[in-house]
Order: sequence, then structure tokens, then C-alpha cells
Amino acid sequence: MTRSLAVTINALGLYAIAFVLAAAFAAQLWLNELPCPLCLLQRTQFALLAVGPTLNVRFGPHPSHYALSLLTAAAGAAFAMRQVLLHIMPGDPGYGSALLGYHYYSWAFIGFAVAIVLIGAMLLFDGQFAANGEPKPAAAGAFAHAAVWLVIALIALNVASTLLECGFAACPDNPIDYLLLKRSP
Amino acid sequence: MEFTALFLAITIVMLVAWCGSRTIALALFAATLIASVATYLHHATDALKLAF
Repeated sequence: MTRSLAVTINALGLYAIAFVLAAAFAAQLWLNELPCPLCLLQRTQFALLAVGPTLNVRFGPHPSHYALSLLTAAAGAAFAMRQVLLHIMPGDPGYGSALLGYHYYSWAFIGFAVAIVLIGAMLLFDGQFAANGEPKPAAAGAFAHAAVWLVIALIALNVASTLLECGFAACPDNPIDYLLLKRSP
Repeated sequence: MEFTALFLAITIVMLVAWCGSRTIALALFAATLIASVATYLHHATDALKLAF
């Protein structure tokens, strides 16, 4: 695998992360389902998952950049599994609505597991790494530039969204409205 | 509030990774990942109703 192909695949990964973050926003805005603290935590891990591909796009593919994504995906999978286990008992309706039969936290676990497998597969190709082991800048095109800025914009939107939802206090366990927009009686 | 801070930290990590120093980006990433795990441990207080 060449360095330029690896950079393109990393840019595709950034678009996949952008899709996940946008889908979470869509559920929040259209279905008016506010994310719980564990849901937000999984969302932070999807956002943090973008750091590795961003470094790969800017500095060229490097094993340590993939390691960042692996650590993040492992933490995200653990957080999602925690929420799956909280609702695993028979008769438990789960938290929020289901999409194609699975709740969002189940999809999140699947997403993190897929990320781990894909990152492992990418690490199989030594040809993408610089011969001396030092990161070398890669020539990123407009496709990759757009992917990075799209993800940064979506993460910045989450800053505003969580501020509106939680205000300046701890986020409620079962949020039903935006605390910062709530008018005091 | 803690999640606003986490998302803000990740935004800064992404901006540094894209525009700034690689070393600083790696250090900020480590701090943010540790902060997210700490936030998880703070929130994961409900007992799991499991029986094996």
C-alpha cells in the first residue's frame, strides 16, 4: 500500500467519523432525543477517534497515529458495552429509540469494534510507513482537507450542543430538555 | 459541563493536530483520553443488574 493510498483511506475514515457524529446530531435534533452522559461519552470517543487519521493525513502514516485510534476505540467500546450491560436484563426497554433493531449504544459498540478491526487491517501494510521510522509530511489533497475541517466543525458543534443541554452544571442522567434554554418560572 | 469541556478539549487537540506541533498534539491527546476515562469512572456508579 502506498503512502498516498493510505492517506486517502484515512480521509475516508474521517468522513465515516463525520457521518457518525452527524447521525447522532440528526437523532438529537429530529427525534428530540437528548444524549445521556454515557451517550455523550461515546460521542466524545468517536470525536477523539479522528485525531489519529488527522495526524496521518498531515504528517503521513505512522504506527503511533494508528495506536491513538486503537486506544480510543478500545475505550469507546468499553463505554458502549457498559451501557449495553445496563440494559441487558430481559424486559428492560433500553435507553432511547432503536435504529434497525439496535439502540444507539449497541451501534456504538459495533462501530468501535469495526474501527479496531479496520485499524488492525491497516497496520498490516508496512509499505505506507516511512523507511527511517520518522513521520514525513504527506501531500493531502482537498478531499482530505475537507474531511478534517468537517470533523472539526462537527466537534465544535458538540461543544455548543452540550453547553445548551447541560448548562454549567453536571449533565442530568435522563435529560429531557436543554437546561440553558429552560426559562425559570 | 464536563462534556462541554471534553468536546472543547478535543476540538483543540484536532486543531493542534492539523495546524500545530505533532508532539503537542500527542500530549494533548493523552490528557484528553485520560480525562474521558476519568469522566467515565465518575459516571459509572450504577450497579449492573447481572446474574451469572
